Amino acid sequence: MALDRRLEILAVCGVGMGSSLMLKMTAEDALRSLGVDARVENTDVSTARGMSPDVVIGQGMHTEEIADLAPVVITISDFLDKDGLEAQLRDRLGEQGWLA
Amino acid sequence: MDVIKDILTFLADNVFGQVPILIGLITLVGLILQRKRFEDVFAGALRATIGVVILFIGIEIFSGGLTSFQTVLASAMNTDPPKAERTLDGFLQDQGGTIALVITVAFLLHVVIVRVFPAARYLYLTGHLMFWISTVTVATMVTVAPGSNQLTLVLCGAGFVAAYWTLQPLWMRPLMRRVMPDDRFGFAHTSSLAALITGYAARPLGSREKHDTEKLKLPRQLSFFKDVNVSTALIICVIMLIGVALADDKVVGEAAAAMDAKLSPWVWALLVGLRFAGGIAILLFGVRMFLGEIVPAFKGFSDRVIPGTRPALDAPTVFPVAPTAVMLGFVASTVVFLACLGIFAAAGWFTLVPPMIMLFFVGGASGLFGNIVAGWRGAVLGGVVSGLILAIGQAVTWGLFEKTAPELATLADPDWYAIAWLLKAADPVLGTGTLWLVPVVALAATVATLLLVHRGDRRRGEDGPEEKDDAVAAGKP
Repeated sequence: MALDRRLEILAVCGVGMGSSLMLKMTAEDALRSLGVDARVENTDVSTARGMSPDVVIGQGMHTEEIADLAPVVITISDFLDKDGLEAQLRDRLGEQGWLA
Repeated sequence: MDVIKDILTFLADNVFGQVPILIGLITLVGLILQRKRFEDVFAGALRATIGVVILFIGIEIFSGGLTSFQTVLASAMNTDPPKAERTLDGFLQDQGGTIALVITVAFLLHVVIVRVFPAARYLYLTGHLMFWISTVTVATMVTVAPGSNQLTLVLCGAGFVAAYWTLQPLWMRPLMRRVMPDDRFGFAHTSSLAALITGYAARPLGSREKHDTEKLKLPRQLSFFKDVNVSTALIICVIMLIGVALADDKVVGEAAAAMDAKLSPWVWALLVGLRFAGGIAILLFGVRMFLGEIVPAFKGFSDRVIPGTRPALDAPTVFPVAPTAVMLGFVASTVVFLACLGIFAAAGWFTLVPPMIMLFFVGGASGLFGNIVAGWRGAVLGGVVSGLILAIGQAVTWGLFEKTAPELATLADPDWYAIAWLLKAADPVLGTGTLWLVPVVALAATVATLLLVHRGDRRRGEDGPEEKDDAVAAGKP
């Protein structure tokens, strides 16, 4: 069963301006290919702690700090790897039953 | 004719002089060009506008915290706090429109250069640094040639900034190719000079194979330090408390009473440290809000004009390669900076302010490149180089921006200092009348470099255009 609302996704990095913004754009591309209706925001780790998204994406250095923040936490090592992220999203969103 | 003049004056004062409105309009045009839906265009432009307003509020709070910090530290060491005739807040009110136009014109010029010269390779996409580099450039130009009109500042600044955005990823390329052999993206960060110095200075120190940082295990307690909000608050608070212990009671008492008459100076010191960190967090939040709209708009535009170009990206994009090296560089740069702070204070020189964000990114990037060249010794060297550049840069550059925006010296990366001093060094030649030499020389140097790089690529059989075609082909499965 797909989610009946827009998916809330958070891209995180240290200060929440540069690399998380790149990651947000990569994620948006990947989600478009998957046909998932989602809103992606980018932010820093401190701000992320006060939020409750469905999915968090970031590099290991940050995701290990906020591993409990969301039901799905995806760790990436390459900010431009759209295909890799798409594959991870397909698996992990599929597990949650969030893919149409 | 008077009507036209009135209209132009109105636009200059109310649109090109007002950053929130100007950024909002630039975003609006960018989003319309991308043919976004009406609600996305409208909300996006409004978010960018609010982002700028928030940025200004953050700077105001940060500047207030900075003044208290410097007053207490100066009193503790019996020196005078650094002089400042103007503030960053005031400077952005006056010249913010110029800066926004510099970013836009420079980006268009940069796109043209990358399109025309295959050797240019990388498109600079680190948005917040596009903003800060333009700010530093305009501030230095206003210092060197006060009274220049906005058009001159915009065109001269844009020419210079476009040259920097084109060349910086190129001079980092030899080091970057050791990190990313497939050369998918470049390094676009104003820590480049510290990283470059580290890369060359670390050579005699050993090899990565023997001393790789990633074989080390750093204590987990260090991890909370990577949250720059936490480390800024912590370090500034500790220094404030030490400052209060040593400072003249009367000075501290007056400053604390100005916030709240019943307040203990110790608690006041903590509040100042926290407000300082809070101000920076707000500032960053504002920058994030307007960049979140503008950068995708810029990227959408350049993807259409030069498909398949490699982007040059922010420093953290390479951090996953060696996170331990990043932490080692950060810790080493912080230790060296704090040692410099102690030495400078004892000697009665300038009161330094630990810029935790810069120590993290500059120290981290230099640590990473140091490790690539020479393992952990290189990473530590990178931290040391960064700490020294940031401390000395801060002390000597404050006075340069005294009449424009001195805070630019305390929240700065190595390349900002280099740009400021390069332009300042040209002052005797430039005078006030010949500011035009700046973009002319910068762009001529860029073109000459690109032609040389192109010849070098040919000789090594790495032909720029062919490679670019491969990239285009690879980008379209």
